[in-house]
Amino acid sequence: MTRALLAAAICAVAAAGSWLWRPLLAQSAAVPSSATGAALPRLPDGRPDLQGLWLKSAGGFQGLFIGSLDGTNFAAPGGGGRGGRAGGGPPAAPRYEYTPEAEAERQDRLKRGYEDPEARCHLPGVPRALEQPAGLYPVQIIQDEKYVALLHEAMHDVRIIPTDNSPHPRNYWAWDGDSRGRWDGDTFVVDVSNFNGRTWLDMAGNFVDENEHVLERFRLLDRDTILYEATVTDPTVFVKPIEMRFTLKRVPQEQQILEYSCLEGERSLQHYTDEDGGKKRRAK
Amino acid sequence: MTPSRVVRRVLSSAAIAGLLATAAPDSVAQNNSRQAPFAPNRLWDGKTPDFRGIWQTRGTAYVNVEGHPGEKGLAASRSIVVDPPDGKIPYRRDALTRRQTNYRNRSTADPSLKCYQASVPRATYLATPLQILQSPGNFAIVYQENHAFRVFHPDTRPHFDATDWWMGDTRYRWEGDTLVADVAAITDQAWLDQAGNFHSTEFHVVERYRMTGPDVIEYEAQIDDPVVYVRPWTLRTALYRVTQPGARIVEDECLEDADGVRHHISPSDPRNLLKADYSKWKQGARP
Repeated sequence: MTRALLAAAICAVAAAGSWLWRPLLAQSAAVPSSATGAALPRLPDGRPDLQGLWLKSAGGFQGLFIGSLDGTNFAAPGGGGRGGRAGGGPPAAPRYEYTPEAEAERQDRLKRGYEDPEARCHLPGVPRALEQPAGLYPVQIIQDEKYVALLHEAMHDVRIIPTDNSPHPRNYWAWDGDSRGRWDGDTFVVDVSNFNGRTWLDMAGNFVDENEHVLERFRLLDRDTILYEATVTDPTVFVKPIEMRFTLKRVPQEQQILEYSCLEGERSLQHYTDEDGGKKRRAK
Repeated sequence: MTPSRVVRRVLSSAAIAGLLATAAPDSVAQNNSRQAPFAPNRLWDGKTPDFRGIWQTRGTAYVNVEGHPGEKGLAASRSIVVDPPDGKIPYRRDALTRRQTNYRNRSTADPSLKCYQASVPRATYLATPLQILQSPGNFAIVYQENHAFRVFHPDTRPHFDATDWWMGDTRYRWEGDTLVADVAAITDQAWLDQAGNFHSTEFHVVERYRMTGPDVIEYEAQIDDPVVYVRPWTLRTALYRVTQPGARIVEDECLEDADGVRHHISPSDPRNLLKADYSKWKQGARP
């Protein structure tokens, strides 16, 4: 999948407006109430059954979001805006407060979008694996008593998360870090560490380094809704933790996850000019 | 050892000419079919055979499914082609020419060297393990190499074959305790091994996964492609459970060097770590 295809997909999604917006409207009424806890689907071990095909729907940003997690939404009318539509609804996009050194780096990366590792088909890291533009790339969850596995369509990213709260390994540094999960009541809590420091948080130069640490919480609100919350800390990049929250909605059963062959058909870099470090000639 | 290193080792050997030496089919895998059927454990629905676990083939069929003589540091492999009996892929004459061309160009043309997904059935017999994820009604395989995965869909609906995929479109059913998967829509850019064995977009695979013991899955792939082969053929190998405590699939993500060439780098390799040195961003992996 390329950015060109992505753009095409965005157009298609925009055209199918009702398909995109209906779940969003439903969303505003759905935020946290686990009064339905007793009625949640469960596995034999009593844990909530998170399995199925899920699509990020809303929260943090309203609907389609292309751009920066600090609020710049290239997909919004006018290409600007801060944290989605005005008034009401889910909380606004997180604002990042960088350390001075990291802020300088971020400003530099803003001009070097072609270095976004996702443009080069690399694994997005956490939480970007889930924090993809809403409504585009689903995630398939398969679960048993030992693992919760997230199979992401985007970048065919895979996280097989043990549920035994086992310790992180030593001398292991990965794009997606190392995920260790545990059940806290009905909430699946994942501690993610051991990042290699190469991932960006979005297409707009927001980034983390290898000191990133993420605490994720997955909570099944009802049969068709997972509330996802993440706290991202990185003391060498941010002066305070980043809080992120959005929901995943169940994808209708007649739909299926598809293959995302990024590297195999890489075109993203064609969109950048020579000057930008890409392959396209700038129009004279 | 990464596949690219394997290739380099193979290339460095004068014994490469011996690659076409005849090798009989893998007798170990073949004999399993004569044993009494093994009854696998069941999932919590009490019905579905439990194939969960981390699995890996033994041997080096990934170098050449038709077998190869091996060399120092690389064990020889017999052909895993069990039909036809001579262990040779029944190529059409013109297709055989193309295979020989692929073979000569394998050090640069093998899609695996570009860190592409391995395709089916190649992903099964790589030098790296796979993990079967399963729950009642769900079956997926995650391959360590290039974090490729396949979600197996029930065969109650037809293939999604409007385009070609690297990992194909898989529809499966249970025949007793054997999982039978029908795989179609695989791109013709994929190879079957490091030796340039190939197929067209007419490629069609029927896979059979059957446990022959608590720690062994017999894997069989019946392959057809009327554009490339004169008749259907079958390969067979065995997947062995990885039983070491704490074993798991680790992240396998290639890093590009300053020239844009990708290399497999283990997450345990310190080169993977930037250590907050942002200037390293521009420098690539420098393997």
